[in-house]
Amino acid sequence: MGILFTRMLSSIFGNREARILVLGLDNAGKTTILYRLQMGEVVSTIPTIGFNVETVQYNNIKFQVWDLGGQTSIRPYWRCYFPNTQAIIYVVDSSDTDRLVTAKEEFHAILEEDELKGAVVLVYANKQDLPGALDDAGVTEALELHKIKNRQWAIFKASAIKGEGLFEGLDWLSNTLKSGGG
Amino acid sequence: MSGHDSKYFSTTKKGEIPELKEELNSQYKDKRKDAVKKVIAAMTVGKDVSSLFADVVNCMQTENLELKKLVYLYLINYAKSQPDLAILAVNTFVKDSQDPNPLIRALAVRTMGCIRVDKITEYLCDPLQRCLKDDDPYVRKTAAICVAKLYDINAELVEDRGFLETLRDLISDNNPMVVANAVAALAEIQENNTGPIFEITSHTLSKLLTALNECTEWGQVFILDALSRYKASDARDAENIVERVTPRLQHANCAVVLSAVKMILLQMELITGTDVVRNLCKKMAPPLVTLLSAEPEIQYVALRNINLIVQKRPTILAHEIKVFFCKYNDPIYVKMEKLEIMIKLASDRNIDQVLLEFKEYATEVDVDFVRKAVRAIGRCAIKLERAAERCISVLLELIKIKVNYVVQEAIIVIKDIFRRYPNTYESIIATLCESLDTLDEPEAKASMIWIIGEYAERIDNADELLESFLESFPEEPALVQLQLLTATVKLFLKKPTEGPQQMIQVVLNNATVETDNPDLRDRAYIYWRLLSTDPEAAKDVVLAEKPVISDDSNQLDPSLLDELLANIATLSSVYHKPPEAFVTRTKLAAPKPDDDEEPDAGEAGYSESPSRAVNGASAPSGTSPGSQTSTRPPAPTPPAGTPATAAPVPDLLGDLIGLDSALVPVDTATTPSAAAPSATAPSVPLPVLLPKATGQGLQISGQLTRRDGQVFYALLFENSSQTALDGFMIQFNKNTFGLAPAAPLQVPQLHPGASSSTLLPMVLFQNLLPGPPSSLLQVAVKNNQQPVWYFNDKIQLQALFLEDGRMERTIFLETWKSLPDANEIAKDLQSAVISNVDVTIEHLLAHNVFFIAKRKNANKEILYLSAKVPRGIPFLVELTAAVGIPSVKCAIKTPSPEMAPLFFEAMESLLK
Repeated sequence: MGILFTRMLSSIFGNREARILVLGLDNAGKTTILYRLQMGEVVSTIPTIGFNVETVQYNNIKFQVWDLGGQTSIRPYWRCYFPNTQAIIYVVDSSDTDRLVTAKEEFHAILEEDELKGAVVLVYANKQDLPGALDDAGVTEALELHKIKNRQWAIFKASAIKGEGLFEGLDWLSNTLKSGGG
Repeated sequence: MSGHDSKYFSTTKKGEIPELKEELNSQYKDKRKDAVKKVIAAMTVGKDVSSLFADVVNCMQTENLELKKLVYLYLINYAKSQPDLAILAVNTFVKDSQDPNPLIRALAVRTMGCIRVDKITEYLCDPLQRCLKDDDPYVRKTAAICVAKLYDINAELVEDRGFLETLRDLISDNNPMVVANAVAALAEIQENNTGPIFEITSHTLSKLLTALNECTEWGQVFILDALSRYKASDARDAENIVERVTPRLQHANCAVVLSAVKMILLQMELITGTDVVRNLCKKMAPPLVTLLSAEPEIQYVALRNINLIVQKRPTILAHEIKVFFCKYNDPIYVKMEKLEIMIKLASDRNIDQVLLEFKEYATEVDVDFVRKAVRAIGRCAIKLERAAERCISVLLELIKIKVNYVVQEAIIVIKDIFRRYPNTYESIIATLCESLDTLDEPEAKASMIWIIGEYAERIDNADELLESFLESFPEEPALVQLQLLTATVKLFLKKPTEGPQQMIQVVLNNATVETDNPDLRDRAYIYWRLLSTDPEAAKDVVLAEKPVISDDSNQLDPSLLDELLANIATLSSVYHKPPEAFVTRTKLAAPKPDDDEEPDAGEAGYSESPSRAVNGASAPSGTSPGSQTSTRPPAPTPPAGTPATAAPVPDLLGDLIGLDSALVPVDTATTPSAAAPSATAPSVPLPVLLPKATGQGLQISGQLTRRDGQVFYALLFENSSQTALDGFMIQFNKNTFGLAPAAPLQVPQLHPGASSSTLLPMVLFQNLLPGPPSSLLQVAVKNNQQPVWYFNDKIQLQALFLEDGRMERTIFLETWKSLPDANEIAKDLQSAVISNVDVTIEHLLAHNVFFIAKRKNANKEILYLSAKVPRGIPFLVELTAAVGIPSVKCAIKTPSPEMAPLFFEAMESLLK
C-alpha cells in the first residue's frame, strides 16, 4: 500500500520539477556546486557567461537547477529567470571577505523582488576549505540574514570542492519544499 | 456612461505573446518544445517574437536535438535585435561546442558564426579554436567556414587569435571536405582583403589537387575557383595542373564544369605549345555543349559564359555552331543569347547554314527576336566580307515579304552595310526606296534618310523623297531631324539646284529658329555658316570620305574580357559586368604604413592621416584630430580679445594637428638648408594674403611661383606689431595638387617694423585632396607669439606648368584628334589681350606655355600652344584673338577636362 502510494506521488511529481535558481557573485562556486550536486564530482569550470541548467534528482524531488552567471554584466539579466521560482540557492564565497558587502547588497535586492516573494532561500557559505573563510555565523552576520521576514531560509557551511555541506542543504530544501514551503 | 461599462476595457485574454511566454516557462518539457515551435512558426510568418528572447534562450540547454536546432534558428534571427540578452546564450554555446555529439558541436560553431553581435564574438573564439582542432572532420569543416564569418565581423580578432594560420594548416587536412571548406573560407577572406592572406604554394597546390578528386561537388567548385587564381610558374607547371583538372570537365554538376573551364582557360594563357592548346580546346567543347541540354535557366547562364569564352577562344566551339541554332520552344532569353553566339561563330565556312537559320528566325512571330535576327544578318555581312553579298540578298528577300518591322530593321542594317562597303552595293537602293512609305520608326527613318543624302547623286528623285520627309520636320524625333538636316545639306551640295536650295532654307530655318534642341540648332548653325562662308570648304567637310566601320558591337574590351573570364561561373560573367559594378564591398584597409613610409605620390590611396593635413578649420578649442574634416573653410579671425602679446603658445599648431613631427620647424640660421635658395625680394609685389589688420600687426603676402623647374612659395612677412615675432612655421591643408613644403620655413626673428621675404621650396602630391580639382590652397602659419593664422590662397596653375610641355606639331595634331570632343572646352577670357603676337609667345614661353603654330583668319590671330602640368597631363591650347582688342577666346583639349577652369584662370592671368 505504501509503495503504491509513493509511486502515485512520484508519478505526480515525476513530470513536475521544482525550479531553483543558484545565484551569487562571480567566482562564488555556483557552477561547481551545480555539477557536484548533479554528477557528484568536481568539474573544472570557466566563468559562466549565461547560464547552466541541469536536473538534479534528490529525495524523490526533481530539481530544475538554474545556475546563472555572476559577472556584473550578467546580473541584470537574473530577473529574466525569476518567475515561477520555488527556491533560491545563494552561494557566498566565505573567504572573499572584501566583497561580502556586495554579496549582501545583491542578496537583499533579490529578496525585494516581487516575483520571488514565495521562494525559500538556502544560503551556502561556500569555500570553507579555504583558510580565512568565515563560518556560517559570520556569513549570517555579514549578509544580515536575520533581517529576513516572512520567508523560510537556512544557511549551511559548504565546500563544493570537498563535497561537504551541500547535501545537507539540499535535504533542508527538499523537506521545506515537500512540506509546501515553496 | 454608467460605471459598469468599464468592463469593456479590460479583457481576460492575454494575447499571443504572454501566452507563449507562459508556455515557454512551463514545467513540462513537451509544452516548452511546442511553445518553441509556435514561436518559430510566428517568426517565419513575420511576426515579431523578439520579446521572447530570454524565454526561448532558456530552452536552449536540452538534450533534444530538434528543440536545440529550433532555438538556434531563433537565435540567428533575433540575436541582432537583442544584443544585450544574446550574452545569455554564450555559456550554452561553449558547452555545446564540447558536447560528445559532433553534430551538436558543429551546430554550435555554425550558429555562433551566424550571430553577428560584437559583444559576444570574443567569447566565441575559444570554442571556435577548439572546434578547428576537433577530431571530427565534420566539426572542423564547419569551423573553417565559421572563421570566414568571424573575419567579416571582426577581422582583427581573427588575426590576433591566429585563426588564419589554423585555416592554412587545414589545407593540409586529411579530409578533403575540410580542405575544401578551408579553401572556401580563405578565398572569401582574401576577397575582402588587400594583403596576401591566401597564396597557393607548390606545397598547397598538390594538397588541393589531391583533395579535388575526393571532395563533394561544391567543394570542387571552391578548390577550382582557388586554383584559377593560382599563377603557375611556367608552362610545364600550368600543363600539369590542367591535366589534373581536365577530368572535372566530365562532372555532372554544371558549376563544377564551368569552374573547371575557367581554371583551364586561365592556365592556358601560360601554355605555349600549340598542340596542347588545341587539345585542350577540343576537350572543352563537349562539356560546354552538354550544358546546353540542361534546363533553360542553366542554358542561359551557360550561354552568357560561352559568349565570353567564344570571344577569347573562338576555336573551342568553331565546329559546334549547330548546337546554338534556336529550337522553336527555347525561351526568348535563350534564343537571344544563342543568336549572339551564332554571330560570333559565323565564318565563311558555315555562313550559308547560318543565314538559312537567320532567315527562318526572321519569319517567326516574336517581334524582338525577328528584329535581332535581321540585325544578325547585317552584322554577319559586316563581319564577313565574302559573305556580304549573300547576306544582302537574304535581306532583300526579307524586305520583299513586306512585314513592316522586318523592312525597317533591314534598312537599318543595310545602312551599316553601306558604311562598311562603300560603293559596292548601292544598286539595291531602288528596292529600298520602294518601302519608303512604310517607315515609321525613328531609327529606320533616320537610316533611310542617311542613305538618301549619302547617295543623293544616284537617286534621281532624291529631292522629292527628302521633301516628303520635310513636311513633318517639326514633329520628328531629334534623331530623324538631325539626319534630315545633314541629308538636305548633302543633297544641296551635290545638286545645288533651286529645289534643294529652297529645301535647305526651310530646314535651316526649322532647325535654328523653330527648335529647342541645342544639338540640332548648333549643327544647323555650323552648316549655315559653312555654307555662307565657303561652300567649297563645306563640300570638303560634309562630303568628306568617311572611315569604314567594323562590327564591334557586343565586343568587350580585352581587359574587361579577361576580368570577366576570371569570374566565369559567377554572376559577373552572367551580367558581363565586373563584380565591383554591382557588388559593394567594403575593402578592409590594408595595414597602415608608418607615417614616414607614406607614399609620397599618393598612389596607394589618399593619405587620410590627420598628421599630414593641416586642418585649417580646426576650431581654436582644438577638436580631436580624428573629428576634423579637411574641407571646412578656415576661420581666419582669431577669438576677439586675445592679446597680441600673449605668452608663447607652445606648439598650438602641433596640438591641433595631433602630431608635432609633421610640422616644419624654423631652422636656426646657423644651419641653412641647402634646399632653400637665398631669399630674394620678388620684383612684383606679392598679393596680400593676411592683412595686418587681421593678423594683429603681422602681414603675410605670398604667391606660388616657378623657378628653375621648381615650385616655390614666395612669401613676405611684415611685422607692424609691437612685439618681436619668431618661431615661424607653415603648414598647408590638403589640396588638389598635394602641395606641401619641401624644406623648413626660413624666417628669422622679426623685430617690430622689420620684414622678411623667403622662398619656400614646395613639393607636389604630398597630401592630396580627393575630389574635383580646386585652386583653393589653405595655409596655416604660426609663430611663438601669436595665435595660428589661417588664410586662403589660390593655386596658380602656371606655377605648375612643366618645362617639358613642348609638343611636336604632328603629336599635337594626333593628340587633338585622339581626344574626344567632350574634352574640348572653350572660354572667352574677357580681360586677356594679345597686343603683340611675338611678345605674347615669348611671354608664354617663359611660363612654359609652348608655341606650336599660328594662322590668321580674317582679322583674328589663331595661336596653337601646348602646356603640361604634373603627372604629365597635357593641355592643347587654341587662342583666338584680334590683336590689341581685349577678350581672347581660349579653347583647350585635355585628358583632364575637369582642370579646365584652373587652366583658364592661369591663361587669363598670363595674358593680362
